[in-house]
Amino acid sequence: MSFAGYPPPDHFLGDLGMEAEVTTETTARVRTRVTPQVCSADGGVRIGVLATLVDIVGGAIAARVLRPDWMATADLAVELVGHPVGPWVEARGSVLRRGRTTLVVEALVVAVDEDGADTRVDGAAADPVAWASMTFAVLPAKEDAPTLPQAAELPARWAFSGGALTLPVLDALPVTVLDAAAGRVSVPARPYLHNSFGAVQGGVVALIAEAAGAEALGAATGSDGAGTVVTGLQVAYLALGKVGPIVSSARVLAAGPDGRSGAVVELRDAGAAGRLTTVVNVTAAPVGAVRVPA
Amino acid sequence: MTTVGPDGEVADGAGEVDHRRHVSDYFRLERWELPSPPGDDGPVSMAGRAPVDDHQRGPGGGLRTGGLLTSLDSLGGFTSGLAVLPRWIVTTSLLATVSELVHVGPLRLRADVLRSGRNSVVCALDVVDEGADDRRVAAATLTCAVLDPDAMTLSFERPFVLPMPPPQADPVRPEAFFCIEPGDGPVTRLRLEDQLRNPWGILHGGAVAMLADEAACRATVAAVPGAGAVAATDVVLHYLRPVKVGPVEARCTVLGTRDGRSVVRVAIHDSGADDRLVTLGSVTVLAV
Repeated sequence: MSFAGYPPPDHFLGDLGMEAEVTTETTARVRTRVTPQVCSADGGVRIGVLATLVDIVGGAIAARVLRPDWMATADLAVELVGHPVGPWVEARGSVLRRGRTTLVVEALVVAVDEDGADTRVDGAAADPVAWASMTFAVLPAKEDAPTLPQAAELPARWAFSGGALTLPVLDALPVTVLDAAAGRVSVPARPYLHNSFGAVQGGVVALIAEAAGAEALGAATGSDGAGTVVTGLQVAYLALGKVGPIVSSARVLAAGPDGRSGAVVELRDAGAAGRLTTVVNVTAAPVGAVRVPA
Repeated sequence: MTTVGPDGEVADGAGEVDHRRHVSDYFRLERWELPSPPGDDGPVSMAGRAPVDDHQRGPGGGLRTGGLLTSLDSLGGFTSGLAVLPRWIVTTSLLATVSELVHVGPLRLRADVLRSGRNSVVCALDVVDEGADDRRVAAATLTCAVLDPDAMTLSFERPFVLPMPPPQADPVRPEAFFCIEPGDGPVTRLRLEDQLRNPWGILHGGAVAMLADEAACRATVAAVPGAGAVAATDVVLHYLRPVKVGPVEARCTVLGTRDGRSVVRVAIHDSGADDRLVTLGSVTVLAV
């Protein structure tokens, strides 16, 4: 099933198997199952996958709040708080402010059980998995442009169903590492990864930045990308990546083998004269510094 | 007609000058425009330099993160404003990561406009420690909304240069300068004194950042047993509405702590304006 024809069959979002519910005029929730394919080496869901979840929940809210106008994600920040204990992670979003040119949304990511109830640990609610916020730029509707259909009654539910990821998520994109120390990775801008504008989807962009940052910071600490867990992403979307491949570079700010490290990742559309599309602040820690829950 | 002069002061039609540069003066931020190469009409870039005065150092040993954010907001905001003249800007979001909490100083900042559109400007900022062989200290992205200045005429001599303000004769700690009331726990208050207003008469974005820093650290110390000394690092702030009345209240929720790192949600309200939510964000607090 898709929402207003999006995503099409054979799409990354379908393979993540997201389930969404617009709960009120200004709130929504979207969840995805915790599988080994979406987790990093520490056993937690990759922050880029959480960013995708958050982008979708924000988009679901924005589409309803802003109709008939359209929107584009301008910035998105995700900060890991705790480990997901599964079996699902759910992003719960709400509107902070609706302005003339922007909409700001906050989202809390929590672990939920099969029935959608908050997962409990030792009788108490588990810590949130992540906190996120995002800004959408309002794109005024054009007279001849289609409008996103909206359910008349709430709650409205839909699911992005497709296949399932059979590969680790970075291999499914796929991410090709060109130069780990320089944070250079490459991802084709293929329809499998497109948003409704025909450009690489915002959550996928965050995943690429996560991979690039982890590679650069892993190399800087004598490890590798798989040995580095990205704990924070601050994404500024500047332009759409439509042609591809999307190629990254990274500037390491600090990297300590036992501590927190950070980098600035830039993404460029190599097929569009190398246009800068995204700037991302990445923070990370070595896998050994992030405890895996028992 | 109102004119904003090269020092950022506002003069009304009667010639009254309102020197609202107090906040950036407090951190002694020197600023200068980086001219584009001849024939290049590209985006605006600026540089800045600020000493790390002892009374402004925090538990990490370097400049308080709130102070660093204030300088980032001042430089990034001004750079963005120059990019959209004769219109002007107001900061809407600040995404910052601080990678080094120990600073020798002075700190050198650079701001580059990444995108300048009809409604918004996005600026990238970097900070290095000149006293530590240009060690990287922080990076940030600042987004501003473009405003119509109405009757206000903006006038700057280009390339813009603002020298470093002199040291304060009677230095006060940032908490005192920013009128942050003493206290502990999840709620921290700021009195909206005149010195904290920007040329538009609203609370300076840097003051909001300083409040978020202080409030998140206090909330962490109160919520996390044995937290000890802490300092703010990664900060996300969405400036939702202007702060006009005050007092201002930062309400914090420590969302979780692991490995000496706490993530704090900070909601800032203007108590005197129907308690409306004016800024929301997160602050990552580290044990130091």
